[in-house]
Amino acid sequence: MSADTEGLPILPHLAGEFYTWLWWTSEEQQGAFDLADPVGRVDLWVDQRLAFRNPNDNRITAVMTGENPSTTLEARAALAGGKVLQELRIGLRRDDREFFATLKGPAMHLAGLKLPQVVNEGGEEVLYDRMHLYEELCFILAGLVQQYADARNGPHWDDTVFPRLRGWIIGEG
Amino acid sequence: MGIVSGSMTVGRFRVMGELHDGWRDLYRDRLNEFAFTEPPVGIGKEEVEGWTQVHNLLDTNFDDFNRWLYNDFAVFALRVDKKKLPAKLFKATLDKKCQQWCVERDIDRCPATVRTDIKDALEAEWLKRTLPAVSVTECSWSIGGKYLLLHSLSEGTTDRFKKRFFRTFGLKLVPWSPLDWLSDRAAVESLIAKAPNRIELPDEVPLPTPEPVTDSGSHAGGAP
Repeated sequence: MSADTEGLPILPHLAGEFYTWLWWTSEEQQGAFDLADPVGRVDLWVDQRLAFRNPNDNRITAVMTGENPSTTLEARAALAGGKVLQELRIGLRRDDREFFATLKGPAMHLAGLKLPQVVNEGGEEVLYDRMHLYEELCFILAGLVQQYADARNGPHWDDTVFPRLRGWIIGEG
Repeated sequence: MGIVSGSMTVGRFRVMGELHDGWRDLYRDRLNEFAFTEPPVGIGKEEVEGWTQVHNLLDTNFDDFNRWLYNDFAVFALRVDKKKLPAKLFKATLDKKCQQWCVERDIDRCPATVRTDIKDALEAEWLKRTLPAVSVTECSWSIGGKYLLLHSLSEGTTDRFKKRFFRTFGLKLVPWSPLDWLSDRAAVESLIAKAPNRIELPDEVPLPTPEPVTDSGSHAGGAP
């Protein structure tokens, strides 16, 4: 497949792993992510929805919602039982702006996106404000994907990062 | 709720194809050509689709750039109308009409051809006085950024939109991949080559330790 004409592939296992890495890293680092310039520091936390699928299926088989579902026993038990994250609702803060979005599926669609909109009146200005904020969110997400890619492609994934992530999932240490 | 207000639920696409000189006028003309047009009164169950402005689905003229082009963001919507009859009520009415036909002729069964004729006539009569179900799907197209946000994650809606977009502009929409966020081609290739990590459980699986639970029953922790 040519990336120039057909686009880059959408790999379900990478999205599931990225969501898990995001969740784990946010707990490891108390929500603080120092992303490469020019993104800088952002705070990220898992919000009110986690949805799981079986590894070889794209249908959702378990959903956890409500207050802090990521802290529940069932959530990590789902991962430990081999389920894969299909949807992850996150909150993000950069400077004084807070964004909320559900990262959905292998293509990382954005659902239920709430933007820290400042302008609420005047059709044209509202649209510019929303598009600007949407692009800022994408800018942050790109920084997060980049940090995950650096870790995943880095020399310590197999011997350090993944064993720790796995240990967190199954409750070791 | 959509691109211009409320919470957004969007799929992102790359727009593949060359941007022509004079694209503003060209795209205005193409939007006008493929805009929604009111179907004839007696239309049946056929679906009718076309572009509308996002401000009001009855505004289907794109001559005024200020109504749909904001710098290089083109914002418009796909309207789809479809008439649908209430199935149970329709079947019950059809059965009654067939019974009446039999009584008038003092026979037991209504032939299939007659039933079909009655059904077609009833359907045409009801469709004439039925308002269509209207769906509107908004998009925001960053023409310079070569990406488009579609305010729907439905596969059927997305396919319909992609087809009409291609017919209108001659440009193909390709789903955005999270790998598109990465600027380093080598990093992309390396990620693509990675096999999925599996969580291999030890023989005796220790379940994750639950977080402390407060008196009210809610779990501690969460958002910073």
